[in-house]
Amino acid sequence: MSGFRRILAVRCAKLTGWLIRKLHRGNGASLPGYIAGFLCPELLSSLSGMVREKVIVTMGTNGKTTTNRLLCHALEAQGKKVLCNRTGANMRGGILSAFIQAAGPDGRLDADYACIEVDEMEAVHIFPQLKPDCVVLTNISRDQLDRYGEVDTIREKIKAALLLASKAVLAVNCDDHLSYSLLFECPNPAFTYGIDQEIFDATPLKPGSRESIFCRLCGNKLDYSLMHYGHLGIYRCPACGFSRPRPKFTVSQITRKASPEGISYSFIIEGKGLGKICADTSTDAPYNVYNTLSACAALCILDAPREHLEESIRSFDYGNGRENTFYVGNSRIRLHLAKNPVGFQQKLSLLLKDPSPKDIIFQINDKAQDGKDVSYLWDIDFQCLAAASPVSITLVGSRCHDLGLRLKYENIPCCFGDNIEETLRSHIRQGTGNLYVIVNYSGLSDANRVLRKLQERRTL
Amino acid sequence: MKLTIGHIYPDLLNLYGDQGNIRCLEMRLKWRGLEAEVIPILAGEPIDFKKMDILLLGGGSDREQKIACRYLLEYKEDFRTYAGDNGVLLAVCGGYQLLGTHYRTKDGYIRGLGLLDIYTEWAPRRLVKNIILESPLSPCPVVGFENHGGRTYIGNHRPFGKVLFGAGNTGKSGYEGVLYKNVLGTYLHGPLLPRNPHICDHLLKQALKRRYGQDIALSPLWDQMEQLASLDMLARSGGGRKYAFS
Repeated sequence: MSGFRRILAVRCAKLTGWLIRKLHRGNGASLPGYIAGFLCPELLSSLSGMVREKVIVTMGTNGKTTTNRLLCHALEAQGKKVLCNRTGANMRGGILSAFIQAAGPDGRLDADYACIEVDEMEAVHIFPQLKPDCVVLTNISRDQLDRYGEVDTIREKIKAALLLASKAVLAVNCDDHLSYSLLFECPNPAFTYGIDQEIFDATPLKPGSRESIFCRLCGNKLDYSLMHYGHLGIYRCPACGFSRPRPKFTVSQITRKASPEGISYSFIIEGKGLGKICADTSTDAPYNVYNTLSACAALCILDAPREHLEESIRSFDYGNGRENTFYVGNSRIRLHLAKNPVGFQQKLSLLLKDPSPKDIIFQINDKAQDGKDVSYLWDIDFQCLAAASPVSITLVGSRCHDLGLRLKYENIPCCFGDNIEETLRSHIRQGTGNLYVIVNYSGLSDANRVLRKLQERRTL
Repeated sequence: MKLTIGHIYPDLLNLYGDQGNIRCLEMRLKWRGLEAEVIPILAGEPIDFKKMDILLLGGGSDREQKIACRYLLEYKEDFRTYAGDNGVLLAVCGGYQLLGTHYRTKDGYIRGLGLLDIYTEWAPRRLVKNIILESPLSPCPVVGFENHGGRTYIGNHRPFGKVLFGAGNTGKSGYEGVLYKNVLGTYLHGPLLPRNPHICDHLLKQALKRRYGQDIALSPLWDQMEQLASLDMLARSGGGRKYAFS
């Protein structure tokens, strides 16, 4: 009986996905899953049980999608069959859709590994069915407040989810005390990873723009001997002694190499059982050092095959549509997604690393997935923009004037555009040839589409 | 002329954008050729009430609020004297809740400063949306974003404004925030002051009056960006342009 329902659900979902794509109504990443879940509530549980080797879950505020895709990429390089929600559709519907895509019409799954990123708030509903073998926790920081609530709420939700999957082994970023302290509250076996070297710009943050720097155990203020960004770093509580441990997995010899294609990071990943992995990446973003480290840690913990790991890291495309470079005419256009204050600040520091004159476009929307509350703009240090040699700053989006107001307070001149397509075209037509575009979620697919179109045509 | 602005515990009470309120107070003085000094008071540091013209008490999570209280309750009497002497105090969200006698959270009890006879109780559905008020302190609608689980009961105190759109103190009373002398408690993020320059100027005037013993006129500033931002929000908040500037 349940077999019949499963097959029916899988087939209906596949049909829906096909229709959505045929009718050009999106990429069909979520809806099929919702339909299948409705027809067969146990579908996720039974499909997940058919994964031959391991189910790996990635969650945390920033870095989920990249870490998850890297895991998938590395396992595929080993000849494994991997199912993955690589587009970042990380709610129940999106996760089910990924499983359904990997299932045959007979409702049976053909996969060695499942690499799944899970939304922090959704995890508690999904874990009992997904039954992960390993959970990678990237970091916990403040996200869109209206959607996720305070950082304590997010942490509580993650904890509740972990308690429901107490057999899953954890890979935890111990530079983040909010994540690390969870190990004292959850019974899961766990391994830590962290970075000892200073790689993030020590942006001089005002005392007010830092947060979550109070000890989870006793409530006293933590002392930091090194601060990466946000509240991540090497900390110690002077009152109760709670401190950042020596990580099981870490990186050393981090260097930034300059090549004609730009800057890229290379480093050595070390850890017990892992040996030394030379990571020669194509990324210029320091946060991807964390993402690479966490993925390697997870593979090692699960004792997954990893002979080709170095090669996989070298060939991995860190962008995934969230950080893309386009070329149109004589212009280079770099598109970035910024979805919360910590992420936004990281993107701004990327601008600072490029000393040449540039045009910058920001799109600020307030749809549900962006966060309806735009006051986070005031937690970002925009003063640094003045040092990024901007020739022009143009603001678009439904809440562009809020950013305009924010920039007024930093005395940074800007102008406004009507829509993203026109603004992009006019800046490519008459700009410095070095254009940065920073958008939030709801603007991402539009900006990607327009830029892809322009790049294919090669002209305006 | 100079005002001193104290930011209380920015390391603890600093949820979304509270920093913006400080920047606004500071810059709207400087843009007019007046002086401003901002003093961040970190948790555990002493608060010199005599020196302060304006104090900001920001928002934090329930847990952070509890930690803040540990430090703040030491100054209970000082706050009372300061407020009684017309000292300007802006308390936003968590800070607003701390003004009252207590906050009964989901699983605990936080003692407040007891500056006003108001209290807060946790309720299951969070009130999260854009909010628009009509306030005696501003000639045009006050806009912001509210995001709170607590419901605040202000008894016989004056509210900060009447809710035109959104939930307000309890979601039912039709009013938002509290006013007592120069103490303003509110749930409005946005941040409140940059988004609503009239409110900022009102606080500055009160503080100047207290410090220099006379009414001091503030020269007008060009607030076009503020108006554009408000219009964006008004247009998106169900209210349409109904509440737009006249």
